Amino acid sequence: MIKENWWKGLGVLLVFISLTVGMLTPLRPGIVGLEPLQINAGTTVDFEIEGYNSYFSKDSKMDVWLWLDTAHVITASGVQVTGPQSIKASFDIPANLPDDVKREAKLSINDTKNGFVTALGRPYIKGGIVNPTLAKSNWSSKVENLHEMGGFTFPFLPNIYESVRNTFYHVSLWFAMFFTFTLGVVQSIKYLRNRDPLNDAKASSYTSTGILFGILGLTTGMIWATYTWGQAWSWDIKQTMTAILLLVYLAYFVLRLSFDDEEKKARICAIYNIFAFACIVPLLYVIPRLVDSLHPGGQGNPAFGTGDLDMNVRVIFYMSVIGWCMIGYWMSNLYYRSKMIKSYIEENDF
Amino acid sequence: MFKNSRSKLALFLLTTILFSNQLIAQAAAQDFMRSTGKIYVVVAVIVLIFIGVVFYLIRLDSKISKLEKIIKEHGES
Repeated sequence: MIKENWWKGLGVLLVFISLTVGMLTPLRPGIVGLEPLQINAGTTVDFEIEGYNSYFSKDSKMDVWLWLDTAHVITASGVQVTGPQSIKASFDIPANLPDDVKREAKLSINDTKNGFVTALGRPYIKGGIVNPTLAKSNWSSKVENLHEMGGFTFPFLPNIYESVRNTFYHVSLWFAMFFTFTLGVVQSIKYLRNRDPLNDAKASSYTSTGILFGILGLTTGMIWATYTWGQAWSWDIKQTMTAILLLVYLAYFVLRLSFDDEEKKARICAIYNIFAFACIVPLLYVIPRLVDSLHPGGQGNPAFGTGDLDMNVRVIFYMSVIGWCMIGYWMSNLYYRSKMIKSYIEENDF
Repeated sequence: MFKNSRSKLALFLLTTILFSNQLIAQAAAQDFMRSTGKIYVVVAVIVLIFIGVVFYLIRLDSKISKLEKIIKEHGES
């Protein structure tokens, strides 16, 4: 029994891991609060820094830098850790700046317990004298000896924060959908060659499961978008194209219902399935890359960038994709087996 | 079957134990987990729902297998 069913247990295990480890792994520290954000050159500024998931401590040596770029860095003149999530840092801002345009600085802290963390807020330096030579000698620290925080953690991404975990629950459903639709179209092609009703049953089962994943993927995406993009439906190109694709596939089921003759139904639906599958790549992968998009992937970049390339996220993400594909396969497997039983019973008046 | 609170507790403990090595590694940084305080409860609930769905699939699988077996025997007889 285990010999035939091991893959079901593996799929369940992989999804289970993505549910537990995916939810429980902490984020890397981030700096969410930084005041003031408007500072004057040539003055001493006391910054109030607020961390998220951070462990600031008096005991570990901490570098606090304010930098315009890697060539213009100053170190804090005074650092006071007031709590695990709060720091007060004083900087003597030089009066000289390298140029008039580059006035947005980054504030970063660097220590062994937190790694290298840059604040989300960027202080803007007003006033000062533009003198590149003097500026170079005034802003003379270096951003170096960057520490990496140990342990298994997920990246801290601006605007997304904890919802990065949705990568395992939203994105993997799309991959599972694509996988099941592929299985479905293979069965449709097989049907056209063999005229075996088993292939037709398999094709419609895989397509059903694929649509289920598609609808779940779209709704989970809408929930995620409400809190990161501001609204559930933004007519984002990928969202819209995916909705169109789901309509194309839903039409497959409408088509299935409109026939009485089994063989005709199977034949025409197999052809439609192939057409529907051919729509996936242009709608979901080609068009969104040509146009500006809120999704990662607009304007020519590959669909995953920044945090999704993070190794730790990747490990759990691949597990959840494979797990959901296997569970989708299992669900479709049950579906077509029950269809075959039903048709056997109907044929034989059993 | 899995609805009584004893099983919920067992599941909760199981999950905690399985991932306790992660907790121990960060025991020194308890404040680090401050924002994840009651997340274990959420995870336990999610896992319970998922296991419920899995048990439904397993039950369906065995029912279908039984029917297929009956059909096979009917076909052979």
